[in-house]
Amino acid sequence: MSKAGTIARRTFLLGSAAIAGGVAFGTYAAKRPIPNPLLDSLAEGEAAITPYVEINADGITLITPRADKGQGSYSVQAHLIAEELDIDPATATISPGIPGPAYYNGAALSEGVPFPSYDESWLAEGLRSFMAVPAKLLSVQITGGSSTVPDSYVRLRMAGAIARETLKQAAANRTGVSRSALSTEDGHVVLPDGERIAYTALAADAAKIDPIDDVTLRPSSAWKRLGQPNMPRVDMVAKCTGTETYGIDFKLPGMLYATVRANPGIAGTVERYDASTAKDMRGVHSIVPISHGIAVIADNTWRAFQAADAIDIDWGPSPYLANSPEIFETLEATVGNADAYDHRQRDEGDVEAALGASDVLEAAYKIPYLAHAPLEPMNAVVLVNETTVEIWTGTQIPLFIRDKAAEIAGVEKRSALVYVQPMGGSFGHRLELTHVEQAIEIAKTVMGTPVKMTWSREEDMSHDYPRPAAVAMGRGTVKAGQVDTFDLSVAQSSLMPDWFGRLAGMTIPGPDATITTGSWDQPFAIPNYRVTGYRAPAMVPVSSWRSVGASGNGFFHDSFLDELIHAAGADPLAERIRLCLHGTSRKVLEAVGQMSGWDGPSLGENRGRGVAFCMSFGVPCAIVTEVTHTEAGIKLDKVFVAADVGEVLDPTNLEAQLFGGAIWGLGHAMNCELTYDGQGPEQTNYHAYEGMRMYQTPQIEVKALSNGSKIKGVGEPGVPPSAPSLANAIFAATGKRIRELPLNKHIDFV
Amino acid sequence: MKLSVNGTEHEVDVEPDMPLLWVLRDELGITGPKFGCGIAQCGACTVHVDGLAVRSCQLAAVDVEGSDITTIEGLGTPDNLHVVQEVWIAHQVAQCGYCQSGQIMQAVSLLELNPEPTDDDIDAAMSGNLCRCGTYPRIRAAVKAAAAKLNGV
Amino acid sequence: MKPIFATLTALILSAGMTSAEDKVQIDPPAAGSISPEQGLQAWSRIYEVTSHPRCANCHTGASDRPMWSGPAYGKARVHGMNIRAGESRIGAEFLMCATCHTTKQEDWDNANLTPHAAPRVATSWRLAPVEAHWFGQSSESICAQLRDPALNGDRDVMDLAEHLNHDLILHWAWAPGGGREPAPYSLQAHVDDLLAWGAAGTPCPQD
Repeated sequence: MSKAGTIARRTFLLGSAAIAGGVAFGTYAAKRPIPNPLLDSLAEGEAAITPYVEINADGITLITPRADKGQGSYSVQAHLIAEELDIDPATATISPGIPGPAYYNGAALSEGVPFPSYDESWLAEGLRSFMAVPAKLLSVQITGGSSTVPDSYVRLRMAGAIARETLKQAAANRTGVSRSALSTEDGHVVLPDGERIAYTALAADAAKIDPIDDVTLRPSSAWKRLGQPNMPRVDMVAKCTGTETYGIDFKLPGMLYATVRANPGIAGTVERYDASTAKDMRGVHSIVPISHGIAVIADNTWRAFQAADAIDIDWGPSPYLANSPEIFETLEATVGNADAYDHRQRDEGDVEAALGASDVLEAAYKIPYLAHAPLEPMNAVVLVNETTVEIWTGTQIPLFIRDKAAEIAGVEKRSALVYVQPMGGSFGHRLELTHVEQAIEIAKTVMGTPVKMTWSREEDMSHDYPRPAAVAMGRGTVKAGQVDTFDLSVAQSSLMPDWFGRLAGMTIPGPDATITTGSWDQPFAIPNYRVTGYRAPAMVPVSSWRSVGASGNGFFHDSFLDELIHAAGADPLAERIRLCLHGTSRKVLEAVGQMSGWDGPSLGENRGRGVAFCMSFGVPCAIVTEVTHTEAGIKLDKVFVAADVGEVLDPTNLEAQLFGGAIWGLGHAMNCELTYDGQGPEQTNYHAYEGMRMYQTPQIEVKALSNGSKIKGVGEPGVPPSAPSLANAIFAATGKRIRELPLNKHIDFV
Repeated sequence: MKLSVNGTEHEVDVEPDMPLLWVLRDELGITGPKFGCGIAQCGACTVHVDGLAVRSCQLAAVDVEGSDITTIEGLGTPDNLHVVQEVWIAHQVAQCGYCQSGQIMQAVSLLELNPEPTDDDIDAAMSGNLCRCGTYPRIRAAVKAAAAKLNGV
Repeated sequence: MKPIFATLTALILSAGMTSAEDKVQIDPPAAGSISPEQGLQAWSRIYEVTSHPRCANCHTGASDRPMWSGPAYGKARVHGMNIRAGESRIGAEFLMCATCHTTKQEDWDNANLTPHAAPRVATSWRLAPVEAHWFGQSSESICAQLRDPALNGDRDVMDLAEHLNHDLILHWAWAPGGGREPAPYSLQAHVDDLLAWGAAGTPCPQD
């Protein structure tokens, strides 16, 4: 076995000292006649590399391949497997595994070929649910788009069930009792006479038999842990005791530490630099030029930071327009401009005729660039050898990183190994790989020695690929107390070509739906209803930010709807319910009305409430926000969130994702923007980019509904309706309609 | 230079002005305290020095020579949890968890200084600790529950 | 104030309040050698100092909330993070100022190089007493306050000069570091102005 293979195997078997007796469930199923990418990585007899369940004499390892950036995906994946396997996931080792085609189907797309079709029954089930994810893009966006739960829901339970039945078969073979007479409980096969055989004791036997894959999934009514109110996250104890090892905490013997200073005009040049002071500073190993910047390698992160500060660098100009006033001028010249037309996915009734026939309400909206700014700055540990490159980092795109690493290090793809680490947040930041590319370049200069590259917070914020700034123009009419015409035009730079270009060096042709996602796809029936996307030229390089297109469109669409409803003299909640054409969504609106005791937007003097709705990632979500207009500014009192996810797998975490999403949306709507003055953003640390802090956090009540026909993920859908619910509440309390984010440019908050 | 961390004396050879955070993380391998901002804006690096919460990124090594330093690792362990950690787990507070070492250390300090904090006290004491995931509602609830538990209610 | 805060506050305020070293020359002009006009000119420079963000941001009167204002901040606002100094003026009831504004070693000059980091001095960071209300106050108001022993800590002008000589937190205002704009003039010039203002009989614009 190659050295890389050996390391891969060792890392894969996290927590297992003994490899002997290891059994790979699902591997065999995947090995059946039709070739598939999994077989490639199983060459050279590496049977231990398995999709989801690994058992040996020492214990059980559950492979949870979807990245956990804090949204609890490891826990829900582990529980899905464990529910059918009949184990307490707390007793298992949880590992993301080594990225490979079995887990990361997008690998095929990264090779430029169509998504492969697997026809093994259990895997095909999983793939079907994966293919059901609506946007074509999601098949390459490895972890994202709130897709983990819908993607894993069947596949991982199938994996658990196959493992369980195979262990029972092993027990049957050993005892002579038929499999159908056996049951399982808490990591044991139970014989009719009550004798219990531990799974770990059956591992060696199970490895020798074909997996049993004609299994039936249990109904949710039979679940013991999944769906129950008390389903502790598998990572909670570690995260509350400082023992969770994030990427930034990862350490290898003899490791060096590095940081970089790169042109804040992303991909701009280094014109000249002087490191004469820095190179003699204590602990500095070397100073090396990298793409678009300079790196310092030292024996300690802080010493690297200090030396980097001491390098005098002249940057070349920003390769793109990075001046906020000019950017917004460009966006305003784009919206409604036929030359910049991108797509129109909604066009109902006769908008032009309706606009020509009555008074038109017009409103212009504007949203800023936003950084992801997860609390853990980007980092990566990289070890480059002659024929291998190994990377330890927290990422949502391990296969893109693998491919880039192979390219930069000049090794075979199969010798580029990515070990995904626990992540201190992402919000979309870890869909990028610039920091990993830098770390590989650095590690190449010290072959054979591992290097941990850490960005300073300032480097992180000035090299984030932000949520695009955007503008929108709404035009509409009302008739007989009802909304009659809704015409929204949205302009922004397209993020998909930017992003995919960075990842895969190729562009995505055609319209970019994210320009209007969250506007064009809303479940309302308005007599004349049109949404048009306009593509602004590429300016600041942009990326996906929690809830992607819906983060801005949620604000545009619902703010303008609120204005029209007000103009019609209708009740904001009642008119939304009347216009809603989707039963599941209507029930969400009704639920949020009940939760908040809605009886109109006014709550008395200086108080008001706003309602907003957005369906994103298949999840209808409605939010009511209540505010008081105090002398010192707006105070957020209470927020009610209702959403329908089809089926609730983890009620405790679902609540956390929904209030977390609302806090994310509200905090940035109130307090955050990135502005540009010719080069990088002017906000480079949290003093200028506060998000939400505890004192501004309202009380939040969450309700999850299960009327929808499909199970959905909930990491993002709480975000889009939060900003408009607040803007609408401020209007209700003060009469002031704010059409630009962040809101604190126009009103103070306490 | 001698530093006392979690009851253990360590001899470190560092510049006097190396921030305590980096002495802990990169010299001593104590990684519970996290690097988030480097300028006392996020609180992820919070430790106790002589019993009071401080941002370890804002303390020089020389400032804490001879002081008792406690990190999250010294507060409690998975097998021997501090009351505040127990309550944090019971309330399932953490999401990404990166800020939680700091949140917990700050909460412990708050409860030592103010055993019966009101909602306003909690909001005032905890707003220096940034959480990007938005776990604040559960932090609030957990601090109150911890206060009750510590007061034997 | 709850007893534990009182004890803690007393402990902290008694420790490291003053520096041993003289930082300035205290050389008062002879009484009567400074004309009232010169005294008022000196006062107007003193007002420039006291109303400067480096000083006024922590002289917020009855409010226990420090301010963030000055060229780096845009619109003046209360200190972020919901900071409250409490009755203790050191934040003991909520979050100690010293949690972020840590107490540095006295002989370390480069403690405040990092932009936007919490400034630190070799004493406990705190808000000025309630009576010393400067933020947003007029020249008349601050002038009246500074010459009234009931509002200035029972000090005459020489005492005020001594206070400036020894209180390290005040010295920081002229060497704030991190790209912050220092208070105008210099510590020595400010003390000289104070002494001149005293020698002129502490005239105020409203006299």
